[in-house]
Amino acid sequence: MTTNDPMPEQTAATPKKVRVKTPRQPMPEQDPRRRRTNFEEVPRGYSEETAMLEASRCIQCKKPGCVEGCPVNIHIPAFIKLIAEGKFIDALLKLKEQTALPAVCGRVCPQESQCEERCILGKKGEPVAIGRLERFAADYGRKHGGVPDPAKAAPTGKRVAVVGAGPAGITVAGELARWGHEVVMFEALHLAGGVLMYGIPQFRLPKEIVQYEVNNLKRLGVTIHTDYVIGKTETVGQLMETFDAVFIATGAGLPVFLGIPNENAIGVFSANEFLTRANLMRAIDFPRFATSPIRPRRAVTVGGGNVAMDSARTALRLGGESTIVYRRSKDEMPARAEEVHHAEEEGVVFHLLTNPVRIVTDARKRVTGVECLRMELGEPDASGRRRPVAVKGSEFVIPADTVIVAIGNQPNPLVPQTAPEINTSKWGTITTDPVTMMTSKSGVFAGGDIVSGAATVISAMGQGKMAALAMHRYLMGGDPPQV
Amino acid sequence: MGSISLTIDGQQVEVEEGATVLQAARKADIVIPTICDHKDLNPYGACRMCIVEIAGVRGFPTSCTTPAVPGMQVTTQSPRLTELRNRTLELMFSGHPNSCLVCIHREACEQYRPKVTKAARSTRCGFCANRDECDLRAMALSAGKNELSLPTLYASYNLERDDPFMDRDYNLCVLCGKCWRICEKIHGKPAISIINRGKWARIGTAFDKSHVFSGCTFCGACIDICPTGTLTDRFARWQGKPETDTPSACILCSEGCSVVAQSKGGQLLAYTMTGFNKEAGLCALGRFGAAQIVASNQRLIRPLVREGEDFIPFDWQGATASAAEGLKDCGGSVALVISASTSREDRFLYAQLARQLQGRMLLLPAEAGSDDPQVQTLAAAVQGGTVRAVIANGNLLPVEMITKIPFTLVIDCLHSPASNCASVVLPAAVLSESGGTFRTASGAIKQLAISSQAPGDALPEWRIVCDLAQALGLAGFGYESVETVTPLVADDPAPAPVSGDPRQNVRDLVPRFRGHLLADVVPALAAFGLPKTPAETSEETAGEGFPILEKREIAPNMHFFKVKAEKVAKFSLPGQFVILMARETSERSPFTLVDWDAAEGTISLVIEEVGRSSRELASLKAGDMIAHVSGPLGLPLTIENKGTVLLGGGCYGIGAIFPLARALSQAGNRVICAIEASSAYLLYMQKELATVCDQLIIATKDGSEGVRGGIQEVLAQVAAQEPVDQFIAIGCTFMMRMVTEISRSLNIPTLVALNPIMVDGTGMCGACRVSVGDKTRFACIDGPIFDGHGVDWDELASRRSAYAREEVQALSQSVDLNALMHQPHAHSHGGGCGCGR
Repeated sequence: MTTNDPMPEQTAATPKKVRVKTPRQPMPEQDPRRRRTNFEEVPRGYSEETAMLEASRCIQCKKPGCVEGCPVNIHIPAFIKLIAEGKFIDALLKLKEQTALPAVCGRVCPQESQCEERCILGKKGEPVAIGRLERFAADYGRKHGGVPDPAKAAPTGKRVAVVGAGPAGITVAGELARWGHEVVMFEALHLAGGVLMYGIPQFRLPKEIVQYEVNNLKRLGVTIHTDYVIGKTETVGQLMETFDAVFIATGAGLPVFLGIPNENAIGVFSANEFLTRANLMRAIDFPRFATSPIRPRRAVTVGGGNVAMDSARTALRLGGESTIVYRRSKDEMPARAEEVHHAEEEGVVFHLLTNPVRIVTDARKRVTGVECLRMELGEPDASGRRRPVAVKGSEFVIPADTVIVAIGNQPNPLVPQTAPEINTSKWGTITTDPVTMMTSKSGVFAGGDIVSGAATVISAMGQGKMAALAMHRYLMGGDPPQV
Repeated sequence: MGSISLTIDGQQVEVEEGATVLQAARKADIVIPTICDHKDLNPYGACRMCIVEIAGVRGFPTSCTTPAVPGMQVTTQSPRLTELRNRTLELMFSGHPNSCLVCIHREACEQYRPKVTKAARSTRCGFCANRDECDLRAMALSAGKNELSLPTLYASYNLERDDPFMDRDYNLCVLCGKCWRICEKIHGKPAISIINRGKWARIGTAFDKSHVFSGCTFCGACIDICPTGTLTDRFARWQGKPETDTPSACILCSEGCSVVAQSKGGQLLAYTMTGFNKEAGLCALGRFGAAQIVASNQRLIRPLVREGEDFIPFDWQGATASAAEGLKDCGGSVALVISASTSREDRFLYAQLARQLQGRMLLLPAEAGSDDPQVQTLAAAVQGGTVRAVIANGNLLPVEMITKIPFTLVIDCLHSPASNCASVVLPAAVLSESGGTFRTASGAIKQLAISSQAPGDALPEWRIVCDLAQALGLAGFGYESVETVTPLVADDPAPAPVSGDPRQNVRDLVPRFRGHLLADVVPALAAFGLPKTPAETSEETAGEGFPILEKREIAPNMHFFKVKAEKVAKFSLPGQFVILMARETSERSPFTLVDWDAAEGTISLVIEEVGRSSRELASLKAGDMIAHVSGPLGLPLTIENKGTVLLGGGCYGIGAIFPLARALSQAGNRVICAIEASSAYLLYMQKELATVCDQLIIATKDGSEGVRGGIQEVLAQVAAQEPVDQFIAIGCTFMMRMVTEISRSLNIPTLVALNPIMVDGTGMCGACRVSVGDKTRFACIDGPIFDGHGVDWDELASRRSAYAREEVQALSQSVDLNALMHQPHAHSHGGGCGCGR
C-alpha cells in the first residue's frame, strides 16, 4: 500500500510558515497489480489524521480563487477550515450548502482544471487537495452518520417536475426541495443517478454512494418515479398540465458510432452499452445479476476521453488485454490526466495517432480485429487541437474480440422528439436562454448535457444550480430563502 | 452353453443358446430399430419397434423377447414390418411433441437456427434439450416420411422442476420404461414406477411425493438412459451432446467411485456411471455435484500474495518465490494440513515436502472441516509458538488460528474464509482437471484422468508442490509429469470408509469438500439437509413494483400476464413495447404490449418462456410483483386506412398482432389475421383475434388445424385470392425472414417488428442496432417496426445469438438450482398449464 503516514502533531494552530511547507498529502491507492482484477475503488480516501493535515495546508485566502473555479461555488476555505479543526460533520454541512453530491464531486470532478488550478499554493508548489478533502468529509458523514437533515424552507405550494435523475436533475431537485417546492423526479431507467449509475464504473464511483445520495434526496421530500420515460410514458406537454415548472435534464444518451464497415458485428459495443451492462445492470456480479458481462480477451477502445478510459479499464478488469486507440496524441486527449495515468498504471496499452478504418470479422460476423491507419498531426483545427492526418499506406490490424466505441454521445432524442414546441439546435441539443435557462416553452427549463452536449458531471451540476435559481425566480418572482 | 444357428434375412447366424432374436441379429450386424431395449436391461417388449416375422410363428413377435431357436427363419425387413413399425412410431408420436419432424420448413429452420431454443417445455424438437441425442427423432428422420396420420395429444402435465438437479417434462415420455427399470435394477426397489392407468399412465414416485422423499438416490441413471428428453440434468441440459467420455474416478469421498466424465469444449458436464448396474452406482454429489464444483464462480483462478492488507495477483514464479520465502522466514516448524480428497501422488509429494521441511503432515478425511480434532491439536501447537507456518490444501483451518500463524499458504480451488486471510494463495486444478491415482476405502487403486480445463491460472497440486519445493532449494522434486511420481507411491493406507452409504441414501452424502461446505458450492444439495453457510440478507426490496393481477399459461410456454401499470396503460399505442425486470437482479427485457386498459390502469402481455429472464417472469404468480415495468417504448404503428391488411403472427407474435388488428380494423381496413403454431395445442387468443379482424386464418406446421404450414403459405394463398395492400409480420426471426422473401416477390409492402437484444430501451446503448436499408437504426427508438424488405436478417440473427453461451451458463446457474420442493405439490393435474383439465 502506498499510504504515507501523516506528519506528526500539526493542526490549524501551527504557524503559517510551517504549514505551507507541509507537502500535499498523497491519496492511498489500491495497488495497480491488484486493482486490475477487481472492481473496488482505486483511491481509498484520507484517514482523519491525513485529512486534517492536508486541510491545515490551506492558507484561508481573503479572495479565494478556488471558489470562483468551482462551478457550484462551494465555500472551499470554510469547509477546509472545519476539517482542519476536526469538525468533519460541520464541514460536510458547509459543503451541502452548495452541492447535493459531495461524495460524487470529490471523486469525479476535474479539480485540477477547476478549484485546484486556482489555488494559490499551486503557484509555487502543489495546490491543496480540495477534491480529496471534499470526498473525505462526505465519506465521513456517510460512514459515521449523525448528519442532520438539511433545513427546508416553508412549502411554497409550487410543483416542479424534474425529467432525468442524473447530476443536473439531482442538483435542481435538491435545491428546489430545500427552498420549499414540491419536486417530483422522473427517471427512465430503473435506478436514479443517470450517468453516475450507468456510466462511471464502480472502481471510480461506488454505486452504493450514488444510491446513498439519491436517498438523501428522498429524505428531503423529493418523489422519484423510476421506470418513467418522459416522451413515452408521458410527454412534457402533459407534465405541464399538473406542474408549475419542468426541468429537462435527459442528458447525452445517444451513442455516436464510427461509421466504418462492419460496425454492427458481434463484439462491437458503444461505451454506453459496455458500461451500462457492467455498472447499472451489475454484470460484474454475473450470474447473481442476470445481465451477461462482456468478457473481452482483447479489447480495443476507440476514443481519448474519460469514457474511453472508463471503458478500457473496465475491459481490463473483466477480461484480458485492453488497448486504447486514439487518433491524436496524448496531449490532445480530453481525458483527465489522472484517469490516463491510472489506466497506464493498470496496464492499458495506448495506440496514439491511430485511427480505426474498418472492423475485421470472421465468417460468423464476430470481431477478430480493428484495421487502423497511422496518423500524424497537421495544422490546428477549429478546436485548437492539431488536426490528425492519415499516413498513406500505413494500414495495420490490431487483433481484438471486443471493440468499444467511446467517441462521444449526442443528446437523447426522446424528449425533443415528443415536444416539438421546444426548440433544438442542429446538434439536437435543447436551446435555452443563457440567463433564465428557460426553453422556448414557458415554464420549461433545461440543463446539463441535453443543453451543452456531452460534458462533465460538475458542469451539469453547475447548470443545475443556475437553473434552480432561475426556476425559483420564475415561480416566486424573487430570490430563494436562506436555509 | 452351446451355440445354435438360425437364419436372419437369409444370413446364417451363430449365437449362444439363450440369446434373443434381437441379440442374434445384432451379432450379425443386422439393424432392428428399438426404443425400450437397452443392453443393461432385461427385455421388456413395450415399444414394439423390434418386431420381426418368423417362419411358422403367427403374428409379429418382438425380437427382444423372443429366444433364438435353432433353425429359426427370421425376416427383419419387409413392407409389412415397415408399415407396422411406422404405425407404432406414429402411435408413440401421438403422445410426443413432433411438429418439427413433420414441418415442411424444418431443414431451412434448423439451418437458420442451429441451436435449440432454451424453452421451458419442449413442445417440438427445436425447443428440446435432447434434440441431438433423441432416439425417437433419429428413428423418425430415418423413416424419411414427414407425415403422421394420428393427432398429437399434448398431455399438459406440469413441468416438474422443484427437485434438486433434475428437470422432468412427462409430456415427452413415451413410456418405454427404461427409467424405472434401470432404477429397479440398480436399487432393488425403484423410486419411480408407472402411475395411473390408460392415457394418464405416466412415470412418477409413489403417491407423487417429491423425489427427495421417495427413496431416490439421485444417481442420475434414469436421466442418462432416457431416450426422449423427458428427464434432464438441469446443469448440463442446454450444453448439448457431450463431446468426450473419459473414464476416471470421483475423489469427493473415500469411496472413489469409477466414473465416466462427460465433457464438452473443455468443460465437465457430468460424472456418469461406468455401466448401468448396482456396482457402478453413483451418489448425488458425484453425479451432479462434481461438475458444478469445477464450474463454480467461486473458483480461485490466480495466485495471490498478501502485501499488508492487500492480496496482490502474482504470476506463478513470483507467487511460488513468495511462498518459499515465507516458509523459510517463518522461524519455526511447518505443518501441512492436507485433505484426503487429493490424489496419491499429490499426497506423496506433500508428505515429502513435510519430511524435508522437518514438519508434520495431518491428513484429514475427505469430509473433514476446520473443526477436525487433528486441527484442534495443531491449534495448541500454534498457540505455543512451535508451529509457525502452515500449508493447507483447503478451507481446513479456522480463521482465528490463521491469524495466529505467522505464515499460511493455502493451495486450493475455491475462495473461503481460510484463503481470504492466508499469506499466499495458490489456485489448484481439482477433480476432472488433474490426473494421478486414488486409493479407495476398499484398497483399490484407481486412475484419475483429465477431462476438463482448469480455470484461469490454476495448476495441478503435484506441479505446485514440486515448484514450491524447488524454490525452497529442496532436492528430489524434479518430476516432469504426475505419472513419474506414481511408481514411487507405495504402502499408502486405504482411507477409512465414509459413514453411511451415500450411494443409497442422499442423507449420507459427505457435507464437505476440502473443508468447503458443499451446499454453499452446489446449492441444490441443501435439499438433502446438507449444512450451508447462512446467507447474507438479500438486497431485494420486497413489496415494491408492479402487481400482477392475472397470470395464466395460456398455451405451453406462453404466459399471459395482466399487470397494474397505470401510466403505461394510459399512454400505450399499438406496436409499442415495455421493458420488464422480474427482480432487481434481472436483465431488462423487452416485451410487446398485447393489450391495455387505461381506465383500469392495466396492461396485458404474453411472455414466452425461453430463457432466464422470461423464466424469472414465468415463475411469478398472480399477486406477486414485477420489480420494474418501463414504457410504453418504441414508435407506434402509424394507423391508416390502407385497404386490406394481412397480419401474420407466430409465437409471441400471435398476441402482439392483437392491438394492431384492433386499431387497423377501427381505422376501416379489411383486416385478415393469420396465426401460426407448430401444432394446434400451441395456438392461443384465437377468440380474441376473431373479434378484431374480418377473417382469422390458422396455420399449423403439423397440419393439426387450419392450413398446413406457416404464415408463408397463408400469405401466398391470400395474395392469390385478393390484393393485399399491407402485410405485417411479428414472430420469430426465421418466420419474418421467410415471409418477407415471399412478400417481396409478390410486391406487397411489408412491415416487421424486430426483436434484437436490448439493454435500456431508450436509445442510450445501441445494443439493439439493426441494419435496415443499409442504415443502422436503433430498434428501441427508431422501431421496433421496420420495412421488412430492407432488414439485414443475417445480421439480426447473429446479433440475437451473441450471448448464447452466457445464456446457457445463466440457466444452469440460475436461481432455480436452489428451488426446493418445500412448496406443497398440487397434483395430479395441478393446472398452471391452463389447459382447463
